[in-house]
Amino acid sequence: MLSTTRIPRTASLLGLAMVTAAFTGAGLHSSARSKPTPVLRAPATPIQHLVVIFGENISFDHYFGTYPKALNPQGEPTFTAAAGTPKVDGLTTALLTHNPTRANTLNGRNASNPFRIARSQAATSSQSHNYTLEQLAYNHGRADLFPKYTGNAMTGGIGAFGAPAIVMGYFDGNTTTALWNYAQHFAMSDNSYSDQYGPSTPGALNLIAGQTNGITIVKQLDSTFYVHDGQGGFTLTNDAAPAGDVCSDSSAGESTYEITSSGKNIGDLLNSADVSWGWFEGGFDLTRPNSTGGKGCFRTTTSPLSAYSQADYIPHHEPFQYYASTANPRHLRPSSVAGIGSSHDGANHQYDLHDFFDAVSAGNFPTVSYLKASAFQDGHSGYSDPLDEQTFIVQVMNFLEQRPEWSSTAVVIMYDDSDGWYDHRVATPTNGSFDARADQLDKLGACGVKGRTPQLDGPAGRGPVNGRCGPGTRQPFLVVSPWSKVNYVDHTLITQSSVLRFIEDNWLGGQRLGGGSFDATSGSINGLFDFAAGGHVPALFLDDTLGTRVSTPSSRLPQ
Amino acid sequence: MPCRTAAQIAAALMLCIAAACSRQDAAAANVVDGVNRHPVHLVRPRVAPLSPVAQLGRALFFDRSLSASGQSSCASCHVPNRAYAATSDSAMLTGGRAAPSLRYVDRTPRFHIGPDVGVSDESDSVIVPATSAVVATPHGGLFWDGRAGTLQNQAMGPLFNPAEMANATDDALAARLRQRYGAPFAALFGAETVAPADRFVAEVTFAIARYQLEDSSFHPYDSKYDAYLEGRATLTTSEARGLAVFDDSTKGNCAACHLDRPTADGRPPVLTDYEYEAVGVPRNPALAANRDAQHFDLGLCGPLRTDLASHEPYCGMFRTPSLRNVALRSSFFHNGAFRTLDEAVAFYVFRDTRPEQVYPRSASGAIAQFNDLPASDRRNVDVTTAPFGRKRGDEPPMTPREMQDVVAFLKTLTDGYRN
Repeated sequence: MLSTTRIPRTASLLGLAMVTAAFTGAGLHSSARSKPTPVLRAPATPIQHLVVIFGENISFDHYFGTYPKALNPQGEPTFTAAAGTPKVDGLTTALLTHNPTRANTLNGRNASNPFRIARSQAATSSQSHNYTLEQLAYNHGRADLFPKYTGNAMTGGIGAFGAPAIVMGYFDGNTTTALWNYAQHFAMSDNSYSDQYGPSTPGALNLIAGQTNGITIVKQLDSTFYVHDGQGGFTLTNDAAPAGDVCSDSSAGESTYEITSSGKNIGDLLNSADVSWGWFEGGFDLTRPNSTGGKGCFRTTTSPLSAYSQADYIPHHEPFQYYASTANPRHLRPSSVAGIGSSHDGANHQYDLHDFFDAVSAGNFPTVSYLKASAFQDGHSGYSDPLDEQTFIVQVMNFLEQRPEWSSTAVVIMYDDSDGWYDHRVATPTNGSFDARADQLDKLGACGVKGRTPQLDGPAGRGPVNGRCGPGTRQPFLVVSPWSKVNYVDHTLITQSSVLRFIEDNWLGGQRLGGGSFDATSGSINGLFDFAAGGHVPALFLDDTLGTRVSTPSSRLPQ
Repeated sequence: MPCRTAAQIAAALMLCIAAACSRQDAAAANVVDGVNRHPVHLVRPRVAPLSPVAQLGRALFFDRSLSASGQSSCASCHVPNRAYAATSDSAMLTGGRAAPSLRYVDRTPRFHIGPDVGVSDESDSVIVPATSAVVATPHGGLFWDGRAGTLQNQAMGPLFNPAEMANATDDALAARLRQRYGAPFAALFGAETVAPADRFVAEVTFAIARYQLEDSSFHPYDSKYDAYLEGRATLTTSEARGLAVFDDSTKGNCAACHLDRPTADGRPPVLTDYEYEAVGVPRNPALAANRDAQHFDLGLCGPLRTDLASHEPYCGMFRTPSLRNVALRSSFFHNGAFRTLDEAVAFYVFRDTRPEQVYPRSASGAIAQFNDLPASDRRNVDVTTAPFGRKRGDEPPMTPREMQDVVAFLKTLTDGYRN
């Protein structure tokens, strides 16, 4: 809604004219409802632009388990660590050769040590990443039942690699070459988790709201995707599409489960403070066909690697679409490039990926930007893979590192969930949950210890709610910025909502969402930065196919 | 099920690509002299040196020690100079079905029923859309019944089929292969992937799949028809007339399912839409399994595929094969009921108009139409889409000359054309 007449500082004259034109009528009315004019704060740190690259479905050990040591076989891009590279909490020799998973006979014939997946095998089958199955895989903290509970879920394209116990497979720097190189030159956490167990939608909601409770169920085939929260409401524990999104209806293949969310998300706070922001997702622009002629919700891309054809836009990966205040259910297009990021462009902050490149190229770099690749490049095994994902990340990074605003920009590369891929680290629950069936981490009906483990409220404030067992699975987390530490591994326990907290601290004076959001308790990502060092960490340009260093980057951009 | 029923038009329109929709205009313009006045640039797969794993896959593809008997390799039934299909003297029907060509399988979409735009990330069990007036068309997948989702899984089929390579267990196969391949696989993938037999077999089959994906001999797109599409070759008068009949929706109507125009992004046509159809080919008495009169190969409904056994509308459906290199085949349709291309074309022309020429007569003297399906499944056979849909005694959809012309055109789909 048009709540203020303030024009973004970066708006061009042309954009200003168009925005003003759009205001005659309803706009003036709503601005007349005298909301106090927000005070634009200077950021608390040197970071004036935050870009969150929100990938899909990778556990820390799956990408960084053997970091910084790669096998370097013939025919794959080599990786050699810089001297003094810090250790990560990854796969030790003991875990690689005498893994408890191998010894646990409950895994049957899939009892296996972790094993390397080669670069040629980048496109793999996918694992199971269900709230309860992930808890069961951790087996009371022993982390030894992944093959039994989160093994194969979907096969992938005809070129995909599958193997017994592939859930124990990991890549190294010969495949995830770019990410390993960013870790070498910037900062990484080896102690970053989902706020709670479960798949994409809970992860995405926690990223922007730190809250999965307070949902309204609009459509359900069965009740496997939520729990009764114990206070008369519901908590989302598995995937469901945003009701109302024109791509969510079943004719587009997406959804037999649809919900909306209540409470506030970070977009609401940013709007109140008039901070420009946007969620930019591949395929969101339904007017734009791709090279194969697909368009609308049916626009698909076939990964050349796996031959798998996947819709570019996946509604249940777009968290702002669940909230009435931040949704753009009909995927309306922004009225101008200059208006992107503002509340006045008709798109309600929800855009296509190309809008991000268009806006930044035009000098309109939003303060907070969330980027979600077209699905085939989002890293989710089954329909995407680390090499297609690498192309996306490298093209985004090369683009941003050449912008004049780079000197005050930080990019966070993080994930929505682990896919169920093996990871040896278990986080002791800091937010308990005691649903009789869904929670099984510590025993049937228990994640944490009742009466001892804290348990946050839902947005309705009726008391502690079930269905938010966390921290959940461990995922990679990198900060790439002139202000990051260099070749540094941070060990502070952080979660997805730690990014929420960073935004609140940097631009909103430490305001919190409240309503039981994880932002009240999440850890700080400041340990990955060195704000006293002057912001001189040099840019790193990489090859968008190999992930290896180049002096002159290509100008290709993801679509 | 017809490839394009009226009820599917809405869905088809959405996917309908400009080139395919104007097929008949293009054909009409070219029928006179076989010159393509609208040449296109075809986007072929990148050619690159084989990766190390694909090189291992190549060695495995030709290695007879993959079979328990030591007598047959992948290449025995998928013969390289026959477009990786069977020759007449290779064991083409040992698996109970005609060995498909391994060419152009790299573009096969995943198996699905109804529109394919996304997936549940939790499972790839087949979702059969809820009952409606129209039976949603199955699409994609490998083998004649789409039961393998990946080339790797497809390779597992013949390896462990008792009638083909007949390996009894992973252990037996892995033990034979470790001596020659254990060290190079360990170097590429790590020792952990070689010791457990099932993992090693997974790596071995993956290597074979990579060879098929990477080696350009599996997707050369160098037929005369490709050259014609690019304006580098002129069709003979007969070939050009054959293309027109192939495209003509009242005659051959072949292109309704065997798509023959480049994709919207310029990739060469594969000559299939990957959809499933029951065409009711006659029973092949030469198949050992058919000695049992109660045995029926129902394709999607099994017996080889198992997950759709209860979906009666799909019984008797098989995947539409690519017609590329069809002239090199020595057995046609899933059961090898025909041995020549002329017979295969004649089947389409005479199935409805002269069924006595296509099917045997039963003991009572009646024509045993659709005799490779149980009576209850014969209603699944497409009896509406041209060239089908005429009545016995009607004028056949093609003249003898048109049939010869179609065969002449089909021969332009053979790879290795040089002008």
